[in-house]
Amino acid sequence: MKNIDQSRIFDLTDYKRQDFSVCLGCKICASVCTVNDLSESTNPQEILQKLFLGKNIPSDDHLVRYCTGCYRCTGACPWNIRIPEVIRALREELATRSPFEKAFKDSVSIWGRVYEPYVIIMAIPFLLKGGYIKHMTRWTEYMGIHLPHKVKRA
Amino acid sequence: MNYGYYPGCSLTGSAHKLDKGIRKVFEKQGHTLKEIPDWNCCGAFEYGDRKELTGFSKKNLEKASGLFSEIVAPCPACYKNLREADEQKEFTITHPLDLFDDAFIGSVKQARDLKGHVFTPYYGCILLRPRETAIQRNTVMEEVISRFGGDVAGEKVKDRCCGGNQIFINKSVTEKLSKLVLEKSKGTIVVFCPLCHMAMKTFSGERKVIYLTDLLLYIMGENKVL
Repeated sequence: MKNIDQSRIFDLTDYKRQDFSVCLGCKICASVCTVNDLSESTNPQEILQKLFLGKNIPSDDHLVRYCTGCYRCTGACPWNIRIPEVIRALREELATRSPFEKAFKDSVSIWGRVYEPYVIIMAIPFLLKGGYIKHMTRWTEYMGIHLPHKVKRA
Repeated sequence: MNYGYYPGCSLTGSAHKLDKGIRKVFEKQGHTLKEIPDWNCCGAFEYGDRKELTGFSKKNLEKASGLFSEIVAPCPACYKNLREADEQKEFTITHPLDLFDDAFIGSVKQARDLKGHVFTPYYGCILLRPRETAIQRNTVMEEVISRFGGDVAGEKVKDRCCGGNQIFINKSVTEKLSKLVLEKSKGTIVVFCPLCHMAMKTFSGERKVIYLTDLLLYIMGENKVL
């Protein structure tokens, strides 16, 4: 399992290590965390504590895997700590990128924008394996298809 | 009123209905939307490097500079990213929901009412959080629905997460979270976020999921979404 270079987390976010020293350990972030609606036991405060103390964070941590970026934790936190942004930095450092996210970023580098048909085509093996095809009919009900010439060049 | 308009990537594709709806509602109310020329993706939530993410929106603001001082961005992710990139507060970046004030709603030429229909207004996460970029008018959907005779339900789910962010990473997460919202809501789900729309639509079965703009156009007698 990859060890996280924690100094990189602080480079990627606007936070410094000492910013997490203010965490009171009140766990209000855990009480509102959306990931806990999935019956996963998650405590965002533990991540902040580990970053402050320089302890390792496993890449299969539930919050790192399932955080939806809903900012409920930030809204509840007495210090307004933006935990979802810390999690995104952790994902970047761990390079836990799904084929969809890779295709998204590739499209942005090619066209400067997300061209959805390209993203879908590039992620087809993943979509097939992940059981997404059954949703295709529903998606075509409202999705608009346009040709790539309407997507600008970067 | 003239506004600079930042549609964002979703509104050129999967959320093209929201784009058309916004343009039409604004036109009908006498406002002009003009696209920021050659805009690029705002990066949504896909970039772990904060500087890289803000860089995308800073580039968009540079392109708007000198042309517009007021910018409207309907997609919650784009709206949040633009607001955060405008560190010097050079622009007034507004979400359409904040423009739907009493005067705006009051001047809607009503052709239909919503009597006999039940709606759950669903804002999702990014319109209401984090507080620095949250919209001000956080009951605007309820106001529109009640003003035109509809019944509002599902108040408790309005700010819950649909898990849309995870739909192409861990689909089961989105399925479970969206179904929780669907179970605790009633009637037609009214949304504004393209991601919430996609997540809800994917798992809603027979339940209707519509954009607020489509509901406004229905009231104005334009389309028949109900």
